[in-house]
Order: sequence, then C-alpha cells, then structure tokens
Amino acid sequence: MTELIKLFYTFFKIGIVGFGGGYAMVSMIMTECGKNFGLTMDKFADLLAVDLIIPGPIGANAATYVGFITSGFWGALVATISISLPSYLVVLTTMYFMDKFKSSTLLNGFFRGVKPASVGLICAAAIIMGKEVLINQNMKWVDIFSNPIGTISIIPLIIFIGCVVCEVRFKVNPILLTVLAGIIGAVFVF
Amino acid sequence: MKRIKKTAILFWIFLQAGTFTFAGGLAMLPLIQKGVVDKYKLMDEETFSEQVALSQTLPGMIALNCAIFVGKTCGGVLGAIVTGVAVVLPAFLAMLAAVSLLNILPKDNPRVIGAFRGIRAASAALILAVGIKLSKKSIKSLFTLGIALIAIALIIFVKISVFPVVIAAGVAGIVYFIFYEKKQIKENIK
Repeated sequence: MTELIKLFYTFFKIGIVGFGGGYAMVSMIMTECGKNFGLTMDKFADLLAVDLIIPGPIGANAATYVGFITSGFWGALVATISISLPSYLVVLTTMYFMDKFKSSTLLNGFFRGVKPASVGLICAAAIIMGKEVLINQNMKWVDIFSNPIGTISIIPLIIFIGCVVCEVRFKVNPILLTVLAGIIGAVFVF
Repeated sequence: MKRIKKTAILFWIFLQAGTFTFAGGLAMLPLIQKGVVDKYKLMDEETFSEQVALSQTLPGMIALNCAIFVGKTCGGVLGAIVTGVAVVLPAFLAMLAAVSLLNILPKDNPRVIGAFRGIRAASAALILAVGIKLSKKSIKSLFTLGIALIAIALIIFVKISVFPVVIAAGVAGIVYFIFYEKKQIKENIK
C-alpha cells in the first residue's frame, strides 16, 4: 500500500512539472525513480527500448512500466492515472482562464525559464544513459584520459553517433533506428 | 442521441491516435487534426492550432493535453474524460503486454543481450537527438543557454531532484522577463 501511495505521489509530481512533453517526463522518471524506487539503469534502458517500439504517448508508457515493475498491475494503473491527472487540472483551469492566461506576464516569464530547463533535463538524461551504455563495465569515465580504447565500447559508440546523426540530420524514423540497432547488437555480439 | 454519437466519435479518433502513433505524442497531432477538424468537423482549425500550441506549453504529455482540450471543447467534461482515457489506454495495454513479453525473453542468451545493448545505445542517442532538436527551438539567448547548462550540471553533478530545478528555472524566467521587459520599455521611451 505504501508503495502505491509513493507511486501516486511521485508520478503526480512528475505530471505537474512535466514541461516539454514525453521525453522531458521520461528524463524526470529516470532521475526520480532511481532514487525512490531503485529503478536500475538496466531496467530503465529496457524501458526506453520498449517505449520507442510500442504505441502510445511515451510518458504513459513509462509510468505503466515503472508502476508494473514496482507493484504489479495495480502499480501500473496507479502510476498511469497519477501522471495523467495533473493534465486535467492544468488544461481545464487554463481553458477557464483562457484570456487572462495569454496576457499574463508571470506565466509567460515562467514558461520562458522552464523551456530551456526541460531541454537541460533531456540532455542530462541522455548523458547519464550514454555514460552507462558507452563506457565499459568496471571503468569510470575519467579512465578515458588514461586508457581511451579500453574504456569506451566501440560498437555502441558507432551506433550512438550513427543514430544521433541519422535522427538530427536526416530525420530517419526512430523505430527503424531502434530495430536496426537491435539487429546490429545481435549480430556483432559485443 | 446526438451527444452520444459525438462522444463515440471522439473516443474512436483518440483511440486510433493512441494506437497508431509511436515514439511520442507529437506524432499524433496530425492524426487528431485529420479526424477532429477535417473529417468530422467537430471544431475549426484555428481553435485546434491554438490548443495544440498550448498543449506543448503546458506541463504533461502533449497528446493527453491535446485530447483534454479537444474533448472539453467538443463534448464537455464527459468528452474530456473519454478522450483522455482513449489516448492513454493503448499505451497502458501495450506496455503491460510488452513487460510480460520481456519477462519471457531468454535474458542470458548472448544474442538477446547483444540486441539489448545495441538498442540501449540507440535509445540514449535518440534522447540526445530530441534534446538537440528542442534546443534549436528554445535556446536562443545567453539566458536560456545558461538555464539549460545549469540544469544539466545540477542534475548530473549535484544529483538534485528535478522538481526544484524546474520551479527555480521558472522563477528565473519571471525575474528575467520582468527586468528585460522594463529595460525594453525604457529604451523605447528614449
């Protein structure tokens, strides 16, 4: 029961400060749930892998996943509902005060500050994940300076750089990239 | 009777949007527009675009925010509940199925391990790609760049929770907005 209340509390908070859409929320889930639910980086990486391939808003997928691995079906239900509830409060309130909302200096200023912060959150999540994926086990990132080839895993690095370039520069479909990366990983077991 | 039919149409449109879009809510928006504006003419395009823009500004999943906006506009509170459930439900069910499948996978098979390592590298890359794309839109000044960098540093090095980071960024935005605006007005008077 306490787990369910903790799930509700955490995901409700993420719903409230979830500026910047699904990817920002997934980044928040990653940093928050590591602390609160012992979500390991491995489990989180599995989540991301699945999240990109299956349908639905990725924030809802992520809440379902974390809820399920912490407390089964009811955990999944509680987490999904509690990440969605704040949207109802926020959107319905906004519609009620629509005119005031658009001309408010305070809100405009607030959004101006929050937007770059959510970009920062997403980049931080990418850096934390990247460190986990690209650096060999039992090594630390500082070892890059003393032993670069032994520290960095080469094939993940190639996949990583390839995906960033394909996605940003050539707008390749992310699902295709995910599947290709899986095939490359299975073929060149590394 | 007419109201029931409208609510059913809304449910159907958002259920489709929730089912057939992958890797994030932004991809859903054209599908929703096609159903709500073009096919069933439940609302005009101008209102829809305004609500889409707000869905991205407000906290929460973009697809869910959009669903609540459209649902409330076309079918009142009942409409908002129906659309919200319809857009999240496929993500919830798909993730439950996926987690069960993940548990069946032979986790000690080297090919499976390899495939997952490849996919993890791709997921980290895709998150970074989202960060890069968003930064092009929302980082346009020294102030916004500073906020993003401070957010990254706080999360990675200080390991602070995301909630105070987001709130502090919003407050910084308000302060900046007020002072910057004042300066602008003074310069205009000169």
